[in-house]
Amino acid sequence: MDFCKTVERLYAALPLRPFRDWLIRIHMDRCPRCQERLLSREEARSLLVRPGQTGDGAALWRRISEEAGRLVPAPKAKGSGGRLAWQWAAASAMAAVIALTGFWLLRQTGGPGFDARAITPADRFEIAYVKVGGAPAQTFVYQPQGTDTVFVWAQKTP
Amino acid sequence: MDEREIIEGCLGGKAASNRAMVETYGTLVLSVALNVIGNRQDAEDVCQETFLQVFRRLDRYDRERSFKTWLLTIAYRRSLDMLRKKRRFAEFSVRARFEPAVLGRPGDIDPADPAPLPSKLLEALSPRERTALCLWANEGYTAKDISEVLACSASTARVYLFNARRKIKALLENDHGLLQNG
Ligand SMILES: [Zn+2]
Repeated sequence: MDFCKTVERLYAALPLRPFRDWLIRIHMDRCPRCQERLLSREEARSLLVRPGQTGDGAALWRRISEEAGRLVPAPKAKGSGGRLAWQWAAASAMAAVIALTGFWLLRQTGGPGFDARAITPADRFEIAYVKVGGAPAQTFVYQPQGTDTVFVWAQKTP
Repeated sequence: MDEREIIEGCLGGKAASNRAMVETYGTLVLSVALNVIGNRQDAEDVCQETFLQVFRRLDRYDRERSFKTWLLTIAYRRSLDMLRKKRRFAEFSVRARFEPAVLGRPGDIDPADPAPLPSKLLEALSPRERTALCLWANEGYTAKDISEVLACSASTARVYLFNARRKIKALLENDHGLLQNG
């Protein structure tokens, strides 16, 4: 028992992974007393979600199929550099257009004599769809409470 | 359709094979993402991103390796990305002093969804420890298998798993003691 405590103290005192691994392999993995202080597989399973509990694969396919349908077969490795460069060029151009439009709008709305009520729906700035790297981007919209300001965060879909 | 046929079909862009892939491995990927992230909606997003990445990059899969382990490696990395993204948004929200009004797509959250979630006790673990515990308990993975998913040495994976088992056991015993004393 004392030996188990000594091992445990050594384990806590030296947080070096190779040393800890060595202690686990030479003692803790083999000692029944130390094993009693570890979660068993059955106990772990009772705390985790198991694959059979998450629903069926058909429901997941319904969710994924629309996006998967837009995919082309996996690209060949050669020539991917050029394609990537074009994707980044397109993304940069898109970002520049959005930035310029935003800048123009800020100037318009911040200028003297501007009346927000005079804006017609056609003048309003809207982003319906953002593409980054040639693919639909993940877009998150924030609106501070009690204001009309809207922040749009777009990032490349991994 | 066996694993080899599914992979060949997906490489050829066949929708039926893509479907078979999701129907065969979907619940596995979702369970890992759910256990690592702890949130159903984010786990479903990770599951979708994982399969889309698999369909796009299947030509990079090395047939000498286990397909399941390759798939779970992608699911684990996407789960880490999701956790990082959520942390960045949380920091951004605090700095900007406002609450997110809209986050993600509407309609994905069903408050009446009875789908199970992992125990809150798992929040005491790091994402690596949660992944190691999940793969060991649910999939019967060894430290060597876990190390492939976590991209670390088997020695490091063994320590992650050991720490996870020890921490949760201590929490369970503490809960048990509190119940008895209370
Ligand atoms: Zn011992």
